[in-house]
Amino acid sequence: MIGQFLDFLGADLAHYWKIAAAVMPALLKGFVETLKLALVGILWGSFLGGTLGILRGQHIRVATPLIGAYLHLLRGTPFLVQLYVIYFVLPNTGYSWLQWDSQTAAFVSLGIYTSSYVTEIVSGAIRAIPRGQWEGAFALGFNRLKTLRLIILPQSIGLILPALGGVYVTLIKATSIVSVVGIVELMRQADISIVRFPGDILYIYFLAGALYFAFCFPVLMIVGRLEERSKNGRMVRA
Amino acid sequence: MRRILKSIATAVVAATAIAASTAAHAEDIMDRILQRGELRVGVQTQGEPVSFIDKNGDRTGLAIDLVTMMAKDLNVKLVIQDYDWKGLIPALLADKFDIIAADMTPTPERTAALLFSKPFFYQDTIAFTAKDKPFTKWEDLNTAGVSVGGTQGGTYIVAIKEFMPNATAKEFASGPASAQAVASGRVDAGVSSVSNVAAYSTSFDNLKVLDGVITREPLAFATRKENIQLKFWMDNYIDLITADRKLDRLLDYWWNTTAWEKDHK
Amino acid sequence: MEDFVSAIQSAYNFRIVGQYVDEFARGIGHTVTAAASALVLSLVFGLALALMRISGRRFLSHPAAAYIQIIRSTPLLLQIYIVYFGLPAVFPSMGRLPEIFLGIIALTMHTGAYMAEIIRSGLLSVPSGQREGAIAVGMTTFQQYRYVILPQGIVNIIPALLGQTAILIKDTSLLSLITVFDLVSAGMLLNSDRVRPNEAFLTIAAIYFVIYLLVLFLSRLVEDRLAGRGWRVPA
Repeated sequence: MIGQFLDFLGADLAHYWKIAAAVMPALLKGFVETLKLALVGILWGSFLGGTLGILRGQHIRVATPLIGAYLHLLRGTPFLVQLYVIYFVLPNTGYSWLQWDSQTAAFVSLGIYTSSYVTEIVSGAIRAIPRGQWEGAFALGFNRLKTLRLIILPQSIGLILPALGGVYVTLIKATSIVSVVGIVELMRQADISIVRFPGDILYIYFLAGALYFAFCFPVLMIVGRLEERSKNGRMVRA
Repeated sequence: MRRILKSIATAVVAATAIAASTAAHAEDIMDRILQRGELRVGVQTQGEPVSFIDKNGDRTGLAIDLVTMMAKDLNVKLVIQDYDWKGLIPALLADKFDIIAADMTPTPERTAALLFSKPFFYQDTIAFTAKDKPFTKWEDLNTAGVSVGGTQGGTYIVAIKEFMPNATAKEFASGPASAQAVASGRVDAGVSSVSNVAAYSTSFDNLKVLDGVITREPLAFATRKENIQLKFWMDNYIDLITADRKLDRLLDYWWNTTAWEKDHK
Repeated sequence: MEDFVSAIQSAYNFRIVGQYVDEFARGIGHTVTAAASALVLSLVFGLALALMRISGRRFLSHPAAAYIQIIRSTPLLLQIYIVYFGLPAVFPSMGRLPEIFLGIIALTMHTGAYMAEIIRSGLLSVPSGQREGAIAVGMTTFQQYRYVILPQGIVNIIPALLGQTAILIKDTSLLSLITVFDLVSAGMLLNSDRVRPNEAFLTIAAIYFVIYLLVLFLSRLVEDRLAGRGWRVPA
């Protein structure tokens, strides 16, 4: 009985092993592509979003509503459509510097997409700091930049970091959409492999999920660690 | 309100940009292909034996062999771009490549927007179900309460709606997902091409093919409306390879037999 | 002027979109139903997870933390497939449920983890003096949360909640994987029937944007209700 079960298990394991050996090279290649897309999106999305977020947190007459329009337009429409406009529509405007290949188009749109979420998180966290903090700093003769750097940002970082981790792992979902512009990333590699082994659709998605996990889990751990540290820092100072 | 106006403005700019772009490609398509030295072909990975990645990790299949032959006879390099179905048509219209070489049926509505070559080959649409289901032929599925799965945006869904009006059509994102749904009992049956169903039956051991052919779909390559000479070039090419029996040889290898399996599976 | 109109007509044909009004209406119905149900459920679920996580009792906080990490580290697509193919295998009676129900369950499980993290950061942003004050005036734990901590905590995180809601609304399009006919499905039907991607993509964008503006408007109402604007950043 037990022997039979082990035989069954052995046969099954052999099958799973065979499929994994057949599809893993392709999945890993896709994973590298996904990693590249995600890192570029995180880096310049955070830079752009951080800058815009700090600006938006200040209530500057023209900038605030303009940035607001930017982020609402981006958050209110699906990434699929943004990619469509950037890759399929912009090149037709005739400006040669907008003639991006699919890789550039994907980098640009992922960064812009990420920035829209980062902007709102940063500006929201800045605005969550009571105005008394600003007034106190101004009374001490701090200028805006110094207040921001020394008083406001250190306090808002605890609000920014957990949400930021969420955005970074959400970005991963967006990278799986860039196959629309012909980039073969992890999810596309999984789909292509599934065409070869349709019976193992769940298993192959599971393998792809494990690779996503290998990216997302460390990101969340690092963000969690940073969050702890910012909290401890605050407690020491208090 | 300002925000809404802004989004409308963006849409309008985008739309007029596409309209303006059509005028920019007045130069003849065949001249451009020869000057570039590249025939750019858009494909999708719909499955064996039309277009797929084989055991060596190479893209191959009937459609791929056809365009490889075309590029060779034009003395240009073949550049293949792989898109998923959502991106394939927009990419053709945005001039990212010259031809779509996929299993696309030239429906009247599509032919109003694209130029299709004459059909290269024909594909039978059939139905499959789980072995423990009582159905024997596809007509049995046309019963109230029976759910039948097909692929989104494909002609299989159209076939289900047209030939099995009493059944409920369920649209899946991919063929394998619909096969998995049939195998695990989430839907009662599925509709796909003969070659896809053959692949599903080898992967899932509890599937069976239902008797009868539902439709016979002509499959043709597509290009943009203004590429008139390319369309005629493809039509002529079909006549040529039909006459010298190259097309028959390809069809025998990929389509009518399973000869390809020992090289690629 | 006439040139301009005809240029727009050739790039975006309103007549063709008009022929798909029924499909778009059906798609909007499913998108809104799934997003609204999953939003309410995931807020409740997320609040429960967040409270478990900050409770300080290990048998509550550890499972909640593990759940949140695992869900956030794996793709939604996989979670949807597991719920769709897996749940009915474990509970056969669930096989009879319409796909959209299973989809809402998957979306709730997924979004709940994100909501939990946002809500947690909001609860932690309330200064501890607030809680001490509430205890000093003799409030029960429930009253502390209901009247003191939650209203202040939520107001700080409304932008983040709105952002997550925007993501949720668009995530509903993944339910098309399990045959739920949503807004994107309607557009893609038009795209592959008519080979008119402009009409498909831009219509989808416009409809999503209107839904988003409605949610934005609602979130502003909640924000004003919970807190005036006076105490925040200098204008």
